[in-house]
Amino acid sequence: MLAYSLKKLLQLVVTTIGVVTLVFFAMRLIPGDAAAAMAGDTLSGAALERLRDQMGLNDPLIVQFWTFVRSLLVLDLGRTLTTNLPVSDLIMSAAPITLLIAIATIILAIAIAIPLGTMAAFMAHKGHKTLDNMITGLAMIIDLMPSFWTALVFLLIFSLTLGWFPASGPISWDDPYTIVMRLALPILVLSLSQVAILARMTRTAVLEVLSEDYVRTARAMGWSELRVLFRHALKNAALPIVTVVGLSFGNLLNGTIIVEAIFTIPGVGTVLINGINSRDYQLVQVLMIFYAMLFVFINFATDILYRALDPRVKF
Amino acid sequence: MIHQGEILAPLLDVRNLRTEFATDTGTVRAVDDASFSIMPGERIAVVGESGSGKSAMAMSILRLLVYPGRVVSGDVLLEGRNIAQLSERQLNQLRGRSVGTVFQDPMSSLDPVMRISKQMTAPIMRNLGMSYKQAYAEAVEWLRKVGIPDPERRITAFPFEMSGGMRQRVMIAMALSCRPKLLIADEPTTALDVTIQAQIVEILKTLTSEANTAMMFITHDLGLVARLADKVAVMYAGRIVEFATVGEIFSAPRHPYTQSLLRTIPSPTALNTSRLPQIPGLPPDMKKTLRGCAFRERCRAATEICAREAPELSHRGANHVAACWQPEGLGSSAIDAEPERALRRNDGPFRDRVIVEINNLNKHFTSSSFLSRASRNVIRAVNGVNLRVRQGETLGIVGESGCGKSTLARLLLGLERPCSGEIFTEGLTQMVFQDPASSFNPKMRIRNIIEEPLLVKGKGDWRTRQTRVEDLVKLVGLDPAHLDRFPGQLSGGQLQRIAVARALALEPSVVVADEPTSALDVSVRAQIINLLADLKQELGVAFVFISHDLLTVQYISDRIAVMYLGEVVEYGPADLVFNSPAHPYTKALIDAVPIPDPARESRRASAVLRGELPSPLNEISGCTFATRCPLATEQCRTEKPKLRQHRKSREAACHYAK
Amino acid sequence: MSNSFITQPARVHAIWMSRRRVLDKLRQNRFLMNSKTIGAFLILVPIALLVTLAPLLPLQAPLETNLMAMMLPPSLEHPFGTDRMGRDIFSRSLEGVKVSLQVGLSVAALALVMGMLLGTLAGFFGGIIDRAVMVIVDIFMAFPSLLLAIGLIAIMGTGLVPVVMAIAIADIPRFIRLQRSLVLGLRTRAYIDAARTVQASQFWLMTRHIVPNSLAPMLVAASISAANAILVEASLSFLGLGIMPPAPSLGNLIREGQLYMEQAWWISTLPGVVILLIAISFHFLSDGIRQALDPRSRK
Repeated sequence: MLAYSLKKLLQLVVTTIGVVTLVFFAMRLIPGDAAAAMAGDTLSGAALERLRDQMGLNDPLIVQFWTFVRSLLVLDLGRTLTTNLPVSDLIMSAAPITLLIAIATIILAIAIAIPLGTMAAFMAHKGHKTLDNMITGLAMIIDLMPSFWTALVFLLIFSLTLGWFPASGPISWDDPYTIVMRLALPILVLSLSQVAILARMTRTAVLEVLSEDYVRTARAMGWSELRVLFRHALKNAALPIVTVVGLSFGNLLNGTIIVEAIFTIPGVGTVLINGINSRDYQLVQVLMIFYAMLFVFINFATDILYRALDPRVKF
Repeated sequence: MIHQGEILAPLLDVRNLRTEFATDTGTVRAVDDASFSIMPGERIAVVGESGSGKSAMAMSILRLLVYPGRVVSGDVLLEGRNIAQLSERQLNQLRGRSVGTVFQDPMSSLDPVMRISKQMTAPIMRNLGMSYKQAYAEAVEWLRKVGIPDPERRITAFPFEMSGGMRQRVMIAMALSCRPKLLIADEPTTALDVTIQAQIVEILKTLTSEANTAMMFITHDLGLVARLADKVAVMYAGRIVEFATVGEIFSAPRHPYTQSLLRTIPSPTALNTSRLPQIPGLPPDMKKTLRGCAFRERCRAATEICAREAPELSHRGANHVAACWQPEGLGSSAIDAEPERALRRNDGPFRDRVIVEINNLNKHFTSSSFLSRASRNVIRAVNGVNLRVRQGETLGIVGESGCGKSTLARLLLGLERPCSGEIFTEGLTQMVFQDPASSFNPKMRIRNIIEEPLLVKGKGDWRTRQTRVEDLVKLVGLDPAHLDRFPGQLSGGQLQRIAVARALALEPSVVVADEPTSALDVSVRAQIINLLADLKQELGVAFVFISHDLLTVQYISDRIAVMYLGEVVEYGPADLVFNSPAHPYTKALIDAVPIPDPARESRRASAVLRGELPSPLNEISGCTFATRCPLATEQCRTEKPKLRQHRKSREAACHYAK
Repeated sequence: MSNSFITQPARVHAIWMSRRRVLDKLRQNRFLMNSKTIGAFLILVPIALLVTLAPLLPLQAPLETNLMAMMLPPSLEHPFGTDRMGRDIFSRSLEGVKVSLQVGLSVAALALVMGMLLGTLAGFFGGIIDRAVMVIVDIFMAFPSLLLAIGLIAIMGTGLVPVVMAIAIADIPRFIRLQRSLVLGLRTRAYIDAARTVQASQFWLMTRHIVPNSLAPMLVAASISAANAILVEASLSFLGLGIMPPAPSLGNLIREGQLYMEQAWWISTLPGVVILLIAISFHFLSDGIRQALDPRSRK
């Protein structure tokens, strides 16, 4: 287990180095450079050159790369182009909101999807196809609905027409009620597609386990269907489900970018889109790395959890 | 209907059972009107080939079939209670409690994420009303009874920490721990090696007779039937075609299928001088509605009544029923209709040219794990092997799984590189693989499959290649009409013929056949064995025939090499090795093989080889077999015996070879 | 004369028989005779017809404005209604569908080709090539797919070609992984060994055995990838990072309608339904291929 964790950790480090390198050099591919983008039409000639010097853009590439890595290591990420705020402060204030949305979505999705998927698998295994087809068909449709479109439809119905939830407004940590009301719809929208993905995967995993020989053994020993389902099938299906939760976290992060834009929520996604629109590439590259690291870390955690759940590993 | 003794009531009475599987291409009538009964304490064997419905019948008894299978009609009476009328809850009380079950594949029959202790104690607590502590002690006791060494420690293990043989013991312990009255064992030893199979069969026999537990033993192996059954039910195409005491089935079978089946198995005692009698054709498609007798198309005694009406089971003696219109079955027509062909033996003094010479061949696989390069694991798959193959002879290689016989085959074909040692071959070496299903590219037509070697080697133009392909297909006894089909459209037996045709395309001097018949049913197996024997004679091609099936190897081979843990322990003429083995391992192996002859089986000492194969990771300084050998001495543990000439024309690697 | 008199019925019969044979072949075709495939074609064929025939239909041109008909609800004349500049949303949607299909099919084709190429090389040769490819794959897969596409758009700029490139680059690593795992599974098949015993070249093994046998599962993935690419393009355009107005795309149509949700729900809602339908049909297509492939398919 320790050896495995270390191996995965090493992989994590390699991937991190790769991600940082990729983002840094990819950003150098932008026609023009950061200084020109920053200056827009306001500066020219010598002034632009001075700005380049100031930003270190005239240093050798390798020096620039080291400066970039060092700034990441000490979390001194510079200031934003438009508002001149420290980037680290910006992330620190936006990240909790994004994380809150993500975590609440995952919890909600797991709570709904696993019973639903298990039920569909059980029905399919018994040959009752109607309910199974309904659940899987619905899950597929929900999964394929563009999340921004679902969000708009929800906004139209629940905020604009029914007026149950506010469509906009400030978010303050001192006021839990408004947070709940503001985040309820985004979380609901994101949960829908997460439930759809997880329920389908749970169904597949459980259905596969239900046709295993040891399930037949348990039934031959006289255990009831429910005990077989919970003690044997679900316990074994938990392993692939954990992996899927980890992988679908990427989808979830994609989703947060979109719902933040629609529900005007000041999360990391909103910062990113603003950064791109204002051509603040320093900010964009830091945010790209932030998202990638979050995703990589979640997958690292699910890998470790998978191993911890599976006894077939030498400790 | 079968009438049993008047006094005893049957433990299990199955009447007119019908089971179907509704698939999207049609309904498979897996069990068709089966009736039989089992008396308390009786051991019944159900034999049949794959698809004969024997497993479906066993699963139907406890209503364990899963969708899309279902019992359509019929009654199952267990101690007089009709199972068809029980609720799911009442049924669950019978399962495990009154009827224990052991399945075929021990590797997947235990829950992988649950400890043995938990899997075993829970049913004991529920069924026998014991406390956890009592149940735990009981479980340990059962593990001891089924021969698990150090059960106190092993009970806390997870299934993956045990070998297949050990897991099957656990399954048996679990099934018997609630003291059922009936044990259903569905091919419990098919996945195991022959020496382990002998141990498991011995345990089943002892434990069921101790507790007077009845047993329904499902198998395709007639040798096992002879070893342990009191009565035998023979199934064909979903029907029970014959049901009799074990003695009568083997001495006086009455159904043509039973009669033919018994003769297709190579006999160890008879001099193998003629071809194996074979059953022509294939079993019927179970999706089609059958009119008349299901066996009639393969039966030499079939008359027009057989096509019109299906025969019912009728009496042939007090305890003997058969479903055939002819009272004697094949009767006098039992004499093989096809002309006897002599089987040329090639086991005299070495005359012919050596075409394959293997000198001191080694293949070691190394696996090293991350962060621990020090604890490198070395598996000695092939360890210092010396062998020769002569022109036109068949060399049989036998051994249990993990003995290195398949690695040896891959080395011979150049698919693996040896670590040291040499292989000299004269001419080309080709291969026939074990699993016909994966031997062929499913996207290619048979024509292109056979043509491929010619095409790769650039032999001939298109026209000559096509003629060659057609000749080859005819040579292996298939209709050229099959050439434009895809592999998925042919049966296992036909595919193995295609494999042989492909192997012969480039006129090789040696064909290596790795378990070419083990994926086939008994009745088809004889066809392939005969084909190989014919080809050897007609083409003078040499065969290396690798198998775990000793009877087949002994039948087809001129010489046999016995392998154990990567080494050849005995080498000599087939009949000599088989009938008077020199190495104790060869002897144990042969003793473990069940012989389809109840008289011989009952005379046999039940001395089974103890223990399991030691881990190939451990380096063994002395004789590799010393850990399991009944003759082992201190010398064996320290000094490695060399393969040396022993008696005339035979070699054995043992200090005490007889 | 008598000759033709005799052969005529025979010829008719022969033609009839050959036609029947074709029909039988069709009927036995597990891909075509499949409820999922039929479902996919029932959606895709009419949509494709509408898109190609759009210039011939009595529809307002996609870019034509009409200030007399602003924000009209769906009617016979404007099936999807009109927007704030009086443009016909139905004809704009058809134009958007064209973009969606272009993006979906190009991304699927790019990902399929690149994935097959690199995945086969990595899986078949192993060793250093495999490690190098997989490290790069892991780095690209560290980014959530939409995010990676956004980042690439930030570098390459907006428009149809950058969008296709961005989505394809985000998708290719997955195809490489899939193809590699398929190759690893196929590499140990006995028919590969059989070909190796006659010294078939690596190129022979790859082109004759590995690629034909991995093509079908890769096509399943490509079909899903097409659906996914259509959704991602819509998302990008919705965020203002894809196809830029005034050129219509289903995503920016929805973006434009976003501001008028309360007054004119149809502007955003109906193009969304179109995206959903196309995505579903590509998924049906993948299910159709999958079921045609799986001989043990129980459905």
